[in-house]
Amino acid sequence: MRTLVLGLGNPILTDDSVGVRVAEEVRAALAPRPETPVVVETASLGGLALMEMLIGYDRAILIDALCRADRAPGNLLRLSLRDIQALSPTERSVSPHDTSLGVALDLGQQMGLPLPEEIVIYAITVTDVLDFGDEPTPPVAAAIPAAVDAVLAEVLSPGEV
Amino acid sequence: MKRIAIDPVTRLEGHGRIEIFLNDEGDVANAYFIVPELRGFEQFCVGRPAEEMPRITDRICGVCPEAHHMASAKALDDLFKVDPPPAAKKLRELLYSAFYVADHTTHFYALAGPDFVMGPDAPPAERNILGVVRKVGLEIGKQVIDARIRNHQVIKLLGGRGVHPVAALPGGWSRPLAPADREGIEAVARQNVDFALFSLKLFEDLVLGNPQYVELILSDTFTHRTYSMGTVDANNRVNFYDGMIRVVDPEGAEFVKYHPREYASHIAEHCETWTYLKFPYLKAIGWKGLVDGKESGVYCATPLSRLNAADGMATPRAQEAYEKFYETLGSTRVNGRYQPVHFRLATHWARLVELLYAAERMLELATDPQITDPQVRAPITATPTEGVGSVEAPRGTLTHHYWTDERGILTRVNLIVGTTNNYAPIAMSVKKAAQGLIQKGTVITEGLLNRIEMGFRAYDPCFGCATHALPGQMPLEVVIRDVHGAEVQRLSQGIG
Repeated sequence: MRTLVLGLGNPILTDDSVGVRVAEEVRAALAPRPETPVVVETASLGGLALMEMLIGYDRAILIDALCRADRAPGNLLRLSLRDIQALSPTERSVSPHDTSLGVALDLGQQMGLPLPEEIVIYAITVTDVLDFGDEPTPPVAAAIPAAVDAVLAEVLSPGEV
Repeated sequence: MKRIAIDPVTRLEGHGRIEIFLNDEGDVANAYFIVPELRGFEQFCVGRPAEEMPRITDRICGVCPEAHHMASAKALDDLFKVDPPPAAKKLRELLYSAFYVADHTTHFYALAGPDFVMGPDAPPAERNILGVVRKVGLEIGKQVIDARIRNHQVIKLLGGRGVHPVAALPGGWSRPLAPADREGIEAVARQNVDFALFSLKLFEDLVLGNPQYVELILSDTFTHRTYSMGTVDANNRVNFYDGMIRVVDPEGAEFVKYHPREYASHIAEHCETWTYLKFPYLKAIGWKGLVDGKESGVYCATPLSRLNAADGMATPRAQEAYEKFYETLGSTRVNGRYQPVHFRLATHWARLVELLYAAERMLELATDPQITDPQVRAPITATPTEGVGSVEAPRGTLTHHYWTDERGILTRVNLIVGTTNNYAPIAMSVKKAAQGLIQKGTVITEGLLNRIEMGFRAYDPCFGCATHALPGQMPLEVVIRDVHGAEVQRLSQGIG
């Protein structure tokens, strides 16, 4: 089973970088285990381009920043696509420059593209996604180790974690 | 006074917000398009080596990183006073042409297409690319995805990395193109030309063949007579990668043509209290407010304005499409050039003319004998001080301006991004659409709101261009408030 671990975010936009950082640490942790059928990537993408990155994998684990006014920064959430659609429950296609991931996946499936059967999303709640900066804020940075462990637990068998 | 706000629910769902203020009679008093501010980019850059900028600035935006990469590379050429070898310039333009094909394809089929193919009053669940596929056929979806994937592969091959290229260097490009790779790119370019011709035919059949859509395009609601800006080559033809900046007045007469380095002599910025974004305007005319006409310094920099600012296209089939565009929309030739078209929804058609040009230009470059020349870097000998570079981003003229110390360490940075040029026209379009569609006693329907969005969607705006968006959509919540902020009505489209 081919698994993609994909860290999403802008690496120079403070907390928005958290998904990229988690993925980079997962990649480092997996480096001594090249036999693990896992590809680790990072990207600043959404919509169609994100769907296209998932082509050819059986399973995808996405890691991303999540802005939620009702959650303190640094919370780690394990979500499904259905959960994400509940956060963003409209079908209205009004993004100025892309379609939603859900629509993109629907399109890909209609095209018969080999897309993952399972998509897991690890979301880390964040606070600052408007200031350029190399480092995430302290509560978000503090959540990275737990997120890395959670992703590794998904891709390694119990005895390997 | 009532207030209607079209809000994204969270950051994940988009960055823009439209606020429409109604007067006591229920008519539109004002309408604003507001976006959150991304802060501290200049401070982030100052103190870093300038040569890092092509790889930093292409992280600003998840939509057009290739445009930032190119503008930054050209600013570095200017900063270090170095002229790249011909093959390096051509490799840059080749990558840029592939990017244009992918970007314009996405906009037309995923964003503009649904409005026309499905119609502005179609239910929102159908008004997306899935609806287009259902109506036009599965093959269209396959063609769109294929076009995106094959051009992204070209970008990755030439740029050293997908989406966020890394290959640009001051004075050139990091590696030459191998002859075997060139063959593959030529094949992609040929497919692109066919796909662009197919897309133009589709537009003619589905949009121009429908009198209601033609009426919508020609309607006063979506018309603004402003100045037009675009980059032109030595023969005043559209060029995305290099040339002079040309501005024509609303009647089509050349107002000014200048080197990108002289931008500050011609463009100034106006501030308003209700938004952090500044409104660029033509300095020689002055800021007269958010108004149309020759006396107003408002200009536009979009696919439509690029066609308006030029005398034609540099490739044969795109030139044919260009002429058909102007002839069909009732423009006449004055002094050897077509008068500008000001119908903002015609921007979608102009984007397809540009798609064909990008495909043809890509084919020209891919078959240019110089493209595989191994000489792709020029040595740097000058001491850096200041440099400006500009390209035509899909969303408008993009300018990077860097200042450094004698070691090439950045001391100051200024960027004018494509969409910023269009902030004033976008605000004007939103207001005019709202005024035309919300009047006394008008019931706010979804189709009506979509038409307001169509006013700004034609510009393909890219404001919050620093973040990706996982769900990637901007659902609308419409709140009508009285003068005290109390909610009197709430319309939530599709929110379950």
